[in-house]
Amino acid sequence: MNVLVFAEVVENEIQEITYELVGKAKQLGDVTTLVVGNADVSNINSDVIQVDAGEPLPWHYKIVEKVFEKLKPSAILFGNTLTSIDIAAQFAAQLDLPMATMVTDISAKDDGFVATSLVYGGKVLVDLALKSPAVFVVNRGSFPAEEGKGSVGNVEKLSLEELGVSDGIEFVGYIKPEVEDVDISKMDIVVSVGRGIGDEANIELAEELAEVLGGVVAGSRPVIDSGWLPKTRQVGRSGKTVTGKLYLALGISGATEHVEGVKAKNVIAINIDRNAPIFRISRCGVVADVLELVPVLIEKIREAKG
Amino acid sequence: MPMKICAVLRVVPDLVEEIEIEETEIVPFAYIANERDEHAVEEALILKEKAGGSVDVLGVVDEDTASDVDEPLAMAYAKGADNLIKAILSRKTFRRYEVAKGLAEFLKDKGYDVIFTGIQAIDAFAGTLGGMLARCMNLPYIGGVVEVDVQNGTLVVKKELGGGLLGEYRVSTPAILGVVSAERPLKFVPFAKLKKAMKEANIDEVDIEVPEIEGIDVLRYYEPPKPEITLLEGDPEELAEKLVEVLKEVSVL
Repeated sequence: MNVLVFAEVVENEIQEITYELVGKAKQLGDVTTLVVGNADVSNINSDVIQVDAGEPLPWHYKIVEKVFEKLKPSAILFGNTLTSIDIAAQFAAQLDLPMATMVTDISAKDDGFVATSLVYGGKVLVDLALKSPAVFVVNRGSFPAEEGKGSVGNVEKLSLEELGVSDGIEFVGYIKPEVEDVDISKMDIVVSVGRGIGDEANIELAEELAEVLGGVVAGSRPVIDSGWLPKTRQVGRSGKTVTGKLYLALGISGATEHVEGVKAKNVIAINIDRNAPIFRISRCGVVADVLELVPVLIEKIREAKG
Repeated sequence: MPMKICAVLRVVPDLVEEIEIEETEIVPFAYIANERDEHAVEEALILKEKAGGSVDVLGVVDEDTASDVDEPLAMAYAKGADNLIKAILSRKTFRRYEVAKGLAEFLKDKGYDVIFTGIQAIDAFAGTLGGMLARCMNLPYIGGVVEVDVQNGTLVVKKELGGGLLGEYRVSTPAILGVVSAERPLKFVPFAKLKKAMKEANIDEVDIEVPEIEGIDVLRYYEPPKPEITLLEGDPEELAEKLVEVLKEVSVL
């Protein structure tokens, strides 16, 4: 079977999730990767169709449509990213194709596929049966990237004119992140707060804990959306990825979008909900009320440090 | 340029409460407004402040959740929404494309300049509404939206691209925008004001025929594997001591 992968390109660079998708796609069949823009495609371990159309835009579902007509793939894989989801949903609707989102696994079965999706904030898995051809929007980190990397096969270059598609939404430019007071992605110790912190006034408690540990405070989306911490302190898909020694998660449930940004060596999570998905990525999990435990913890750390 | 604005508001299971996972369905204890849709409503109200015009909030529910959207709709009214509409789907469906087709029939002749939706809901495992609605209505769509302005009759939209990076785009109207978060925190509504809005707000009801489209079926719902670690429980004193030990193990102390 033919499988089409839509490459994730940001600022003209192929993103890691592309290789994850290619690796999985190779288990399913013969792979072609569609790359919009002029990124270096030499490491993609598949054939490539490269379309000179600038940065990926939502209306590029029209490009995918043209390539779909040409290759007739059975499966079309996109990354679950802010760029690709816009394109995937429109492409699937335009062609009346079944679409599975938040996908963590795909297998071929009979004349179609079985996909597994992680939903309800990471609390539920659902197995779906899809008829072929089908569209899959795959969560970051679901498959290893290694098998998707290698030497590129045949590269076919196409222009927008050849594909006969036209513009819809105009890209003006990138807006880089603000200059930060602290770059949380470079910090060794990050104390991160979620909805479980309850109130803006309680951020102080996390700050005090971060201070005794020699770290900094970050937060999940609800905390940032509430304006309790600046945008530069957001961990997750939309924010930063933390990679240091310790990530101490206070009252963070661990939705997929959040854990995508947690690559610290050690994760310790404190949450009142024993079913919180954050515990699945933790080295140590504590079922407790953050507001009751953290003041005692600060005291004990001070004692331990003498 | 005054704008005729619509914001879609759905309800989803409240994950703070227990949810029962049965093989064929999810049984929530309670429903709440979809958080991203709350941000879509907020951004719609912000655009009204900037450009003038009106905001209609379209609560999308099925028979089982029809009353659960009343309070979120009243909340939108208390914040400044002009009209409230409850769109009752003819049947429950997990397929966003079916919902999009049904809603498109209703929305197509309403003359909205901008339709806001939340970028995604926690139960969106078969499509996302905004992009699919856009194709059913033949309108441009952009998701990941965090800010909307109007310049010379064109929308200027900021979209999140991940890692703190934003993109800026010009979008002609009419258009559908998928909001990830509004450009300001959700406006707080005191309880008394919400109660008043619940009494005063008039909610129009419309029935939405949901077409049946084959191609995707749920085989089963189930719980993800339990974490491999043993969860620590006990009194705070004891837990804090254990945590200090763990912090020493990982060389933080």
